[in-house]
Parts: sequence; C-alpha cells; structure tokens
Amino acid sequence: MAKLRLEITKGEEIRYISHLDYASAMERAIIRAKLPAAYSEGFNPHMKISFASALAVGVTSQAEYIDVEFKEEVELSQAVVRLTQSLPPGIKIKGARYMYGNVPALMAIVNLATYEVTMPLLAEDIGVIEDSIRWFNEAETVPYTRESPKGRKEIEVKQYMAQAVKIIILEKAVRLMIDIKITPTGSVKPGEVVAALVDMFDLPVDIDNLLIHRTGLYICDEKRTVSPIEC
Amino acid sequence: MITLDPAMLNRVIKPARYTGNEWNSIKKDHDKVNVTVALSLPDVYEVGMSNLGLKILYQILNNRTDTAAERVYAPWVDMESEMRARNIPLFTLESLKPVSEFDVVGFSLQYEMSYSNVLNMLDLAGIPLFTAERNEKMPIIVGGGPCTFNAEPVADFFDCLILGEGEEVMEDLIEAVSAWKQSGKADGRVGLLKKIAKIEGIYVPSLYDVTYHNDGTVAKIVPNCSDAPAIVTKRVVKDLNTVEYATRPIVPFLDIVHDRIMLELFRGCTRGCRFCQAGVLYRPVRERRPEVLLKMAKEMVDSTGYNEISLTSLSSADYSCLPDLVQSLVDDLKEQGVSVSLPSLRIDSFSIELAQKVQQVRKSGLTFAPEAGSQRMRDVINKGVTEQNLEDAVSAAFQAGWSTVKLYFMMGLPTETDEDVLEIANLAYKVLDLYKKITGRRGAKVTVSVSCFVPKPHTPFQWFPQNHASEFERKQQLLKAKLRDRNITFNWHDARTSFLEGAFARGDRRLGQVLLKAWQNGARFDGWSEYFKYDVWIDAFKASDLDPYFYATRERSFEEVMPWDHLSSGATKDFLQREYQQAVQEELTCDCRREKCSACGVCPGLGVEVLDWGNKA
Ligand code: SF4
Repeated sequence: MAKLRLEITKGEEIRYISHLDYASAMERAIIRAKLPAAYSEGFNPHMKISFASALAVGVTSQAEYIDVEFKEEVELSQAVVRLTQSLPPGIKIKGARYMYGNVPALMAIVNLATYEVTMPLLAEDIGVIEDSIRWFNEAETVPYTRESPKGRKEIEVKQYMAQAVKIIILEKAVRLMIDIKITPTGSVKPGEVVAALVDMFDLPVDIDNLLIHRTGLYICDEKRTVSPIEC
Repeated sequence: MITLDPAMLNRVIKPARYTGNEWNSIKKDHDKVNVTVALSLPDVYEVGMSNLGLKILYQILNNRTDTAAERVYAPWVDMESEMRARNIPLFTLESLKPVSEFDVVGFSLQYEMSYSNVLNMLDLAGIPLFTAERNEKMPIIVGGGPCTFNAEPVADFFDCLILGEGEEVMEDLIEAVSAWKQSGKADGRVGLLKKIAKIEGIYVPSLYDVTYHNDGTVAKIVPNCSDAPAIVTKRVVKDLNTVEYATRPIVPFLDIVHDRIMLELFRGCTRGCRFCQAGVLYRPVRERRPEVLLKMAKEMVDSTGYNEISLTSLSSADYSCLPDLVQSLVDDLKEQGVSVSLPSLRIDSFSIELAQKVQQVRKSGLTFAPEAGSQRMRDVINKGVTEQNLEDAVSAAFQAGWSTVKLYFMMGLPTETDEDVLEIANLAYKVLDLYKKITGRRGAKVTVSVSCFVPKPHTPFQWFPQNHASEFERKQQLLKAKLRDRNITFNWHDARTSFLEGAFARGDRRLGQVLLKAWQNGARFDGWSEYFKYDVWIDAFKASDLDPYFYATRERSFEEVMPWDHLSSGATKDFLQREYQQAVQEELTCDCRREKCSACGVCPGLGVEVLDWGNKA
C-alpha cells in the first residue's frame, strides 16, 4: 500500500503543544480532509501514521516528517490541497510524495537534527560569548546530568554533537546553531546543550527565555546528507 | 493584545491551555462588531472546554455578525502566580485581549465549589468583584448553568443570572446590550440592568431586597423596583430540532475531559429520581428527531475530525429511537473510523446489547448507577430499579465478556439506616459472585464509588437535613470495613467538601461575605482536593458570624421561605412536597414521558410539551 510522506511545520501558533497533541492534531486534520487513511486491526483501531522524531513542548519546527498509510491512492496534489484546508494554524505542508514498497520507518532512518536556539543576551561583551562557545567546541568531554521524573542520568553531550556549535549575534540576543546526532542509543536535547553551555561554560544568556526551532531532520551517511522527503 | 513571554510559558505545566489557535476557534476584529462576549467556565481549560452549553453559545453568538464571542478559563495555580508576578490581566484565548475590555463576561456555574474561582478570575481581570462597584466602562457579569437556580451566595457579584437554557435568552441579552451601547449607555448601568430584568429568564439580583427573621431564615425576597418580576421563571427551548447546535465545536490541542463529539439526543429526564436536581431543572423531556441527530453527527465529524461520538443526555438510554439511531450512526460513520459511545447505561440487559453493538465501551469497564444499596432506599429516591434488574444487566455484561464493573452510589439519603449502607457492600459481593457463577472463574473487578448526598434546591429533598461530615465519615468506615476484598475497589467523596457544597447549595445571600473572605484567604480550585482548604472556609464562616450547619444540616419546614423561592424551574412547590412525602412512604412515582403526567407543573406553566418521537410514531 502507498504511504504518503509529508514534510510539515510546527509553527509559532502551536509552539506550546506536546508531541502527542501535535500527532492527534494531524490525525484529526486527515479525517477532516476525508483522506483514505488505513487503520490498524483490533478492538481499538488507530490510524497508521508515524513520525520521524518527537518535538518537545515549546519547540517549533520547519521540517517535521510523517508517513500516513493509505487504503487507496489519492492524486497527490488533490491530497495536499484537501489536507491543507484542514490543517490548524501552525501546520503547513512543505513537501509531499508517495513512498512505495517496503519503506523503512522514519524513526529508524533519521539520524541528524539541526536547531536554532535564540535567547536574550545578558552581557555586552561579545568576546565573552564567543569564548564560551569556543571552549565548549574544543572540550573533549562535556558531562551533563539529565534530571527527569524518571530520575537522574549522566550523559556525555559531546558524543552527540554532529558539528561545532555556531553563533550569530543579534540585537540583544544570540542565536546558536546546534546540530545533534540521533543514535539508536539516544540523543541530547538542544535545551540540554544550552544548559550545559550556561552551567559549565558561563554563556551569559537568559536561558528562561530561550526559543528553540528545529531547522531540519536528516538522513546522513558517509556520502551525503538528505532530508526524508528527498531520500 | 497581551504578549505572553516564553519564560512564563516554558515554566507552567500545559502552556497550551493559554495559547489558543485551536481548530474551529473564531477570531473576529473587535472594531467590526457591536458586542464582545467572553464566555467562561470558572475551572481549568480541560474542564471548561468540555462544557456543552458553552460550545453551543460560542457558535450561536459567533454566528451573529454583530458579536464576537471568545473564551477564558481559570488559569491553573502555576499560571496564576506567573500572571500576578508580571501584572498580566486575565485574557481571552482568541484575541489575547484583557477580559475587562469585553462588554459581557459570562460564567457557567456548574458546581458550587467553583465560586471561589469566579472571584479569583474577576480579580485577575481587574474587574471589581461587586456589581455595586462597577461603572459603565466595565463588563456586564452574567451567570448561567444549574447553580443559577440558587445563586444567592454569589448574587452580589453578578449583574444578572440566566435561568434555564441559554440559546434564545442569550441573544435577547446581546440585543439589549447592543441597543444600550448604541443609545450612549442611556441611564447608565442601572438603566441596562432594569431593561435586562424584563427579559424572561433573567434574574438581576440587585433589583431584589432580602430580609431575614431573627432565627436567620429568610423572611422575604421582593423586587425593589417595578422592572423586576416577583418570580423569575426559567427559559426553555420548545423545539430542539430548530435551534442551532454546536456543530462546529472547537477541537482542542490538549486532551480535555470530554475529548469527543457530544451528541445531545434530548434534554430533560422524566424518571423522577428525587435527589436529582437536573431532572427538575431540565424538564420537560424534549427529544431531537433521529434524522436531525444523524445529520448533526455527520456535520460534526466533518467539522472536527473527531473519531468518537458520545451520546450525551441525562439518561441517553431513554432516547425513544436509540437502537435505530445507533445503528445508523455506526453504519454511516464506520468508514471514517468513527465509534459511538454511551456514557450512561440503564440498568437492563437491553443496554448491554446496545453497548455491545457500539463496540466502543472497552471490555475493561461498564458503569451502572444503582445509587443506593437497598431496595427500600431505591424506592425512597424513586430510582425505579430492582436488584433483579441489576443482576440481569451485570450477568448480561459478564456473558458478553466484560469483567470490570463500576457501581455508583450515594450515602446520606433521607431515611437511610446503617443496614441500607451495608447493602451497598452486599451488592458488590453479589456482583463478584455472579461473575464466578457465569464464567466459572474468579477475577471480576468491581469498583464501588460512593458520594455524599447533597440536597439541592428545587428537588423533593430540598427540605432534608444533610448528614454531618462526621456521620458521612462514620458510614464510610462502616462500608470500608465490609469491603475488604482485593477485587473490590472502594472510592468515596471527601465528606468535608460535600458539607461545604451543601451549605452553598442551599445558602442565602449572606454567604457572599463568607465566599469573599475565603477567597481573600486563598480559597480557589476548591473542587480539586489538592487545593481544597477546609479551615479557610470554616474561618470565613466564623468571621462572617454565620453557621455552615445552619445551611447544610438543618431540616427545613415546608412553610419556610427558601432563598430561591423567587426563582422558578416551573416545577411547583406542591409537587416537590408531594414527592418528598411519597419518598418517606417509599412510594414510587412513574415516568411522566411514558406513563402518566405526575403534575409537576412544568408543561402547563411554561407552555411546553414533552416530545418523545417513539410515542408519536
Ligand atoms: S407537567 Fe407532567 S408531563 Fe410535563 S414534565 Fe411535569 S410531570 Fe412530566
């Protein structure tokens, strides 16, 4: 059966909704659009829909990917038009294509996420900021204690860094470009990278007011880096 | 427009409660309408968004080109402290505009324990709490919902209260406000309130004076001007088939309490349970036609994308065309993956058949409400259900594969003895035994939920003294000792919350002071056990020199003037008294929809008729 792969956004309007709520917003839009989505068998059938990677509350994105399995194929442009009309503010379709045959799950193939993190600056001196980013980038290891309701866990931040962190200085704010590896054994969140930068490298920013934006999700190997819609 | 800074939203739990933009929400330009309305339910978003009445009003008001209706709910405690710290006033979800800038602010009053949230929200909005302190520039504060039938405890805080169904009266109110604005707010706020008082179904408390006897009971409540009627009678919609329904409800991003399509089959209930306030307030029964319902259901699936429809009415299983309706719903909507659920099941095997047909109620649980353990007690409350009914229903459920049953009861009903209470335990064990008998196995799970009976105004039990909290607690212990089986889960309500609910349910206007003091000392979200501050309330009663027991646990005589005697549900006092006497004599009253009229007074009094399509065919 054909799978519809979509590249969609999570915009400012819905920045604060959770991943689960984002997923059900998509499901409901698909029902409103009357697209022939397939359902699982069983007592409590659910729509066959899967995401590439979960996005946290408070994070926006310009490149989310989902696969929806269809019972029958609808002409692509038709499907896109109908779905577009049914989407809540903040979700836009940026790309769509059908995938045929045995398509590996998005979750299993996406291994790189790129982010822009913007937050107010607390120091005038640009040099201080550049120093702390450089020290971070040059550090061999950056241990970080992740605290969650499930308990504390030591993680090594640097093993997940795909690139050196880059910065752009804005007016009274700073933007960091952070590229993070997603591995089968885990990953690090951009917020955690910033927390480590503030705690251990004295980055002078107002971390309470940080805004995280995902700029891309990629499938990356030795030869090339492509998005799931181009693969 | 208010800007919410990320530091605040990043810190609170469920920030999506405050950011709006949901599907089907409507944003209008305030400069292009005459009247702006903020619709509210004084509880957290997930509770407020689940209220059907507000969904209907939102659609009706927004259908008017001259009106913009928006929503606002109580910010959760974490958000409230962020807002107070940053001087952010209460704002609506659509335009993020301060609530104080709206023309009308409507609160749905579902439950007495939400009163403190009303005061808190007014305060957060920067609106003076008392109607007497508001000027021409401030919103008109309107109350609706079941509590308005005795809203005396909040009377000083509301400009007006709507009795009964809001569809038509809300439009009348908007017209009046619009005309008043266009007249340059002629005669000020009082001028508007006097006009509003003439609208049928609207109660303007400030136009009535209350006097008391020395013993604290009410002497009389009389209008203090000619514009206000001596008695305000509720509004009812005569034909539900022709009024607008919430066919384009807002689809939230958060998981709310009722996160599905609500299909209201009919209003009213004529089974005549004597404890039930809704049964009186929503009389008479008026059914929607099945073809109208089917059309509405399809529209709602298309407009929302929900894949579950819940048949919501006071007793949905009583709908005269239910089997056919369910069949058509299932057939027509199967393709879109839509399922149908029945929230309330009648205690008979017919319901089980239906439950099976809709295949929705997961095999994990069925809910029944025998309400009382002994047959004697069920006769007192006119439940009209026998032990045999329950046995048959539960047997049918077990045969059909269910193994978990939830049973709802009340304690503290009139004439209740300890034996009656213990019968609850016997019933629970009987259900366990039935499972063993039918399946040959053990392992059924029975949940017994027992609430504390709170006598409500406009019911036959409105004269009855509520049990003391200590008495409830004693009975709870009694039952707990009997329910020691690992297959039985026993839940009970907090007796002290029920005690205060009882005091406010039958309270008079003087309780406004108590409410004010309790709120000032930190009371809010009283319906949430983690925030309920019993001592604050008791201190507030003391400081106001009022006695909560006087309101909750005192028996009233039939002669006493009730604080709500000027507010009419259409049911006569004679009828309620007759029913109370029948109760004490353990005599039943039949269903007035299917059998004979029990002369409650509603139909002739309001000029409405019972509408039951099954009977008309
Ligand atoms: S007047 Fe008679 S038929 Fe009408 S609601 Fe009352 S009891 Fe029922």
